Amino acid sequence: MTAVAAPDVGARDPAGPALAFRQTLSLSRRAVISTLRKPAAFVPGLFFPLLMAAVYSSQFDRVTATPGFPEVDSFLQFILPATILQGVAFGSTIGGVEMAQDIESGFFDRLTSAPVARPAIFLSRVAGSAAFAAVEALILIGVLTAFGARVSAGFGGVAAIVVISVFLAVALGGFGLAIAIRSGNAEVVQGIFPAIFALLFVSTAFFPPSLMKGWFRVIAEANPVSTVIDAMRHLVIVGWSTAEFGKAIAVLVAISAVSLSLAYSQYRHRVKA
Amino acid sequence: MTAIASGPVLGGLLRRSVLRLRRMPSVLVPALVMPLFFLVSYSGSFDGLTNVEGYGTDNIVNWMVAWSLMMAASFSGSGASGVIGTDIDTGFLDRLLMAPSDRWVVLAGPLLYSMVRAAISTTLVLIAAALLGADFPGGVLGLLSTYVGCAGMALAIGCLGSWVMLVMRDVQAQALVQLMIFGGTFLSIGQVPVDFMTGWLKVVARYNPVTFVLRLIRQGFLGPVAWDTTWPGLVALAGMTVLFGGLALRTLYRYES
Repeated sequence: MTAVAAPDVGARDPAGPALAFRQTLSLSRRAVISTLRKPAAFVPGLFFPLLMAAVYSSQFDRVTATPGFPEVDSFLQFILPATILQGVAFGSTIGGVEMAQDIESGFFDRLTSAPVARPAIFLSRVAGSAAFAAVEALILIGVLTAFGARVSAGFGGVAAIVVISVFLAVALGGFGLAIAIRSGNAEVVQGIFPAIFALLFVSTAFFPPSLMKGWFRVIAEANPVSTVIDAMRHLVIVGWSTAEFGKAIAVLVAISAVSLSLAYSQYRHRVKA
Repeated sequence: MTAIASGPVLGGLLRRSVLRLRRMPSVLVPALVMPLFFLVSYSGSFDGLTNVEGYGTDNIVNWMVAWSLMMAASFSGSGASGVIGTDIDTGFLDRLLMAPSDRWVVLAGPLLYSMVRAAISTTLVLIAAALLGADFPGGVLGLLSTYVGCAGMALAIGCLGSWVMLVMRDVQAQALVQLMIFGGTFLSIGQVPVDFMTGWLKVVARYNPVTFVLRLIRQGFLGPVAWDTTWPGLVALAGMTVLFGGLALRTLYRYES
């Protein structure tokens, strides 16, 4: 009987960069398809932000006439960035949940023992989340635009919002992946949800900072989510701004560097274990 | 077989739930974290609402605290459904139903427990609101109407949750109850008065029973207690309790393992 060589667990890339890239693409496609096959996982992430947008625009439309409120067509236009941010933030945990499910079902072990480039297994989840975020952002912009919310920066602004959404999904998804790989438990990953909720609510997502007071305003303005929201809001209600777009991307790249480093170190640890 | 009097069974079931609460006070945490978080974040975020004419108060905490109390009471009510759901999962409900006592007692025990939980969470949210600077011009009567409103809401949601749990027979159906709580409270005067609203939400919020209960709970924070605000809240609570309680009892009496 011919002896089968055990896969080199420590190998960085046993298959070469071109093959590794193709494997990453295949696994990314699998990640997107598996998400789309589970509407129960992603529909609430689209429905809940849209419901909140509908409720808030009906409740707070009068507030747009208050001194200090930015000049907007309607509250729906003001809340458009927050709606996208909510949808993308909630959806960003799906990649982590699915990674944990792969670990629970043993599929992760089968992948790591197959001749698949190690980074491909990890990067495919990140790429899948990013692709899904782009689709989510486009759907949410489409729905709110149909109800009268206008993106002042035009198609360029829409493209910039989609790019910001992709970076946001990577930045937040990295934390979900780190928890998934560390715990190997989907329920633990879902525990990240209240933290995302808290980050969103203690920010300038739902109301302008000019109408906030005291310590809450200080925290909301210091929250990195506010930098991202303010950039998206500038594109929606004022127009194009390279500086605002750059600030949002810079913040998200910095968060991504932390979250992905954390996730990748957990990943290497699990693969070696 | 001689039937056991309902009183001692009811007392036993209530004691069992309260003992569980004493052994694991952490079960109160999820029902408190969300309302307290909303109290802090909404009061901070939407402070500017008080600048708009007709908001009803110049202190945002006075408005938002009622919504927070409502959520805390509702989550306490869903605790009753959690007890029933767990009893279904573990098979304890089947054993309870075989006991020679009235079936309604099986439902009444967890419902009383939900009211005890609501009293605790109401007190804790009131303390948090006082620390955040809430005023209470309604005095003792206002406090009474707040506690009655919260206990009544816990009872009504307890009935709703128990009905859902008896129909679904799965403790995970509690997520559905929580979704209903969010829906009911968001589509009401939780954040702004009805006159602030426009379109479909104005109609829904105006007739949502939760709106009347919120007015009952909130009145002590905005001014003196008025009968015109009190009785619609009491009627809404009674209506929800009779409707959901009736459905839960009907399902319980038809329940077979």
